[in-house]
Amino acid sequence: MINLRKITVIYRKEMLDLLRDKRTVITSIVIPIILYPLLMVGFSSLAMRQETKLEKQVVHVYLVDHVKSETSVRIIGGISAIDNLEFMPFSDSIDVLLRENLIQAAVQISDSLNASGFPVIIVTISYNETEDLSVQAYDRISNRLRELEDELVSERLKDLMIEVDILDAVQIKKENIAPPEQMVGFMVGKILPYLLIVITLSSGAVVASDLVAGEKERGTLETILVSAARRIELVIGKYLTIITFSLISVFMNLFSMFLSIRHILGQSGLDTGGIQLPISNFALILAAMLPLVTLIAAVLLSLSTYARNIKEAQSYQMPIIIGGMMLSMISLLPGFKLTAGFALIPVVNFSLLFKEIMSGNFQILSFSLVLGSTLILDIIAIIISMNLFRNESILFRTAEDKSLKFWGQSRKNVLSPEVAFLFFLIMIVLLFYVGGSWQAKEMMSGLVRTQLILILLPTIFLLRIARMNIRATLKLNPTNPLNFLMVVLMAVPMITLVVLLGQFINMIYPVSESYMEGMRNLLSTEQAGIWKSLLIIAVLPGICEETMFRGYIINAFRKYGFWAAAVISGVLFGIFHLDFFRLIPASILGIYLGYLLLKSNSLLIPMFAHFINNSIALLLSNYHEKIKILDYLMTGDEFVWWIGIPALIIFLVFLKLYTRINRNPDLN
Amino acid sequence: MIEVKELTKKFPQKEKEELLAVNNLSFTAHKGEIVVLLGVNGAGKTTTMRMLSTVLQPSSGTATIENHDIIRSPQQVRANLGFLSGDTGLYGRLTAREIIFYFGRLYDVKDAAISSRIQELSELLDMSAFLDKKIDLLSTGMKQKVSIARSIIHDPPVMIFDEPTAGLDILTARNIVNFIHNCKAQQKCVLFSTHIMREAERIADRIVMIHDGKLLAEGTWQDFQDETGLKDLDDIFIRFAQSSQPEVQND
Repeated sequence: MINLRKITVIYRKEMLDLLRDKRTVITSIVIPIILYPLLMVGFSSLAMRQETKLEKQVVHVYLVDHVKSETSVRIIGGISAIDNLEFMPFSDSIDVLLRENLIQAAVQISDSLNASGFPVIIVTISYNETEDLSVQAYDRISNRLRELEDELVSERLKDLMIEVDILDAVQIKKENIAPPEQMVGFMVGKILPYLLIVITLSSGAVVASDLVAGEKERGTLETILVSAARRIELVIGKYLTIITFSLISVFMNLFSMFLSIRHILGQSGLDTGGIQLPISNFALILAAMLPLVTLIAAVLLSLSTYARNIKEAQSYQMPIIIGGMMLSMISLLPGFKLTAGFALIPVVNFSLLFKEIMSGNFQILSFSLVLGSTLILDIIAIIISMNLFRNESILFRTAEDKSLKFWGQSRKNVLSPEVAFLFFLIMIVLLFYVGGSWQAKEMMSGLVRTQLILILLPTIFLLRIARMNIRATLKLNPTNPLNFLMVVLMAVPMITLVVLLGQFINMIYPVSESYMEGMRNLLSTEQAGIWKSLLIIAVLPGICEETMFRGYIINAFRKYGFWAAAVISGVLFGIFHLDFFRLIPASILGIYLGYLLLKSNSLLIPMFAHFINNSIALLLSNYHEKIKILDYLMTGDEFVWWIGIPALIIFLVFLKLYTRINRNPDLN
Repeated sequence: MIEVKELTKKFPQKEKEELLAVNNLSFTAHKGEIVVLLGVNGAGKTTTMRMLSTVLQPSSGTATIENHDIIRSPQQVRANLGFLSGDTGLYGRLTAREIIFYFGRLYDVKDAAISSRIQELSELLDMSAFLDKKIDLLSTGMKQKVSIARSIIHDPPVMIFDEPTAGLDILTARNIVNFIHNCKAQQKCVLFSTHIMREAERIADRIVMIHDGKLLAEGTWQDFQDETGLKDLDDIFIRFAQSSQPEVQND
């Protein structure tokens, strides 16, 4: 089917074409070669030169001797013997002189007696920490004073006929068991993953935007599509080209970095015989880079295929590059380990894997988990780019095509998905900044204000200015009283399932103790009392959040069908909680609430269900100790998964009943 | 030989609307014949030609190129087809020779055959002076010659030209016209699209007039003159277009 020879022809042509492009060659080959030597070697030798320069500079010191004893004279003599140090006879305020860097240090000698009655010379050295030379002066003077102190102490001991060695009661020996190469690996390992991922992204992005979006822009795409090459061959040829350039770039960077580090280590005077750079680790990382590079290449190729021109491709790449940079920064943070959960998150997994490889303690299991999950994503991304390449409306999207200008087109219709989504984005930003600061000030009143002012009010306001009939839009319709009973009956199995799901997620992505603490505090009735807590945690969200999500947002997605509306609004509801650990449980709750609304056609039902759900959560977390089985479920270390089976069955039975009750909502 | 059978192409528009770019179009073009697809801008010429070159999928109907179906065997269709339009670009950083080689290889032509064909074409099109120059350094006329060579490197029996003279100066346009006559002399089947009546008049063995995606008339210039009693092709076209208008409204 696929003609390998043609792929080779395409690949060779793309390579030749790109190698003649100065921009590409500079970013992926020239910059790495000169960047690291310049950055590392240049910087370190500059720092060293600066250091020696400082040592040779004359420091001016102001000196006051309040003691004028034999010892103080000896001390002054010792200080004045320091190279490049001059005493200055100033009479102005010492602080002013130091601040203006006219003198670098002021030494005042006074005396006192210590607790045992021996005379002590007190030398106060005033200096300016913000001036390098002043810090130098302090170091030089204090070092000399320490030598003088040793001399004086040994003289005193001699007078008392005591050996100096008596002072050595405890000797601290520092022994770092980490082998030197592991130390180097540890330090390099922190920064390396970040660098490699950024390099792969940025060099791949330059090549990818040229390969498809560039062909669209220059009008060569049609020429190549009418040739005898198949589209799949074109995609693979271009895909391999991006991979090659990314790998060249990664290799050049690693190689250049390796030489630079070795050069620095050699220069720093360390025993380089002992410190071996872990070259095998560099090789291992290069091998592990392959799946990551292919994944990034496939994603970039998809974006480039979708874009109409290079500029558009670059603006699509921007979020990917920034997101990748942020995710890869995890290796710079202390305390993160490669767990099974992290191994499944793209980019983060590589960042942590490289860190482990470089510090020499990685496990084969996590290694293969990272590679495996990446390869699966990789295949998905390639299939997406292939489909984009087959999609004629995307391939022939031209500059005058207005398909992306939907923001301007349908702004009038407040119930359109675009407006609802934009509204959601604005709300989530408000929630994060404004709501967050309110809640940081005072939790409970902050929550009340968030619910009323940030969630309920804007939703009503939006519908008002769009001149919508609020009651009809929000579906504040009367409903069958049986529905309320069904919601109560469904609540218990539902919350059991959610708790189990939460436990399951906790097993994959362990939640930190401080997070649990925060959750417990939020759900604790101790501070506000049970009724006030119920009002804030259960009643208000039931009214306000439901008005926004099941009153407004879900209606905007109705045109995509029943389930799409329930799932989209539910997931948005999950995201709205701004909490990674609650994303999935909250999304499922959101889908359930959406289902309730769409079946009953009355907002009262999801409002009531939301209230019941939050109430049960609140009551459970406060009173679970009193009911044995609940306590076992909630605090037991064991994951009682089998409880989920009867819970699911009971839930589905009631859901079926609910559906039957509301078979024809208009008649209710 | 090209056989177009009830070819239709709909483009989905916003709000479930559809644009009927090509509507139930049928015509044929034979070996050693130059057929001109004539129509105003937006009549569906380019869409038709893109479907024939298998870049776009028809919504319904089909066509065959040298008896290969455009839907079932697009590979063979493209192998038997040379496609040239006025705005197909070339790779600026490659030389003319490299580009022709690239396409030759994609058409499975052997390297030795490509070399000798380049020799032959460069004499025919007078392009030996700039064969090894990068495309970015060439003039429009030179680029057009490279495009011609690129489109015919595999010596296809069918040539499709989509407004190849659009935006070209007289001298360059003349090159193309000469080349098309050359194709005819080699017994190739040529389909040529244009909105310029005069060009159609000068070059066509047969004219296929299309308007709003539909076939308006098919025949030689002489046929049209006899049928309408008019002399000028412009007038003939307008007459046909106007007489088709009530039908459009009835649809």
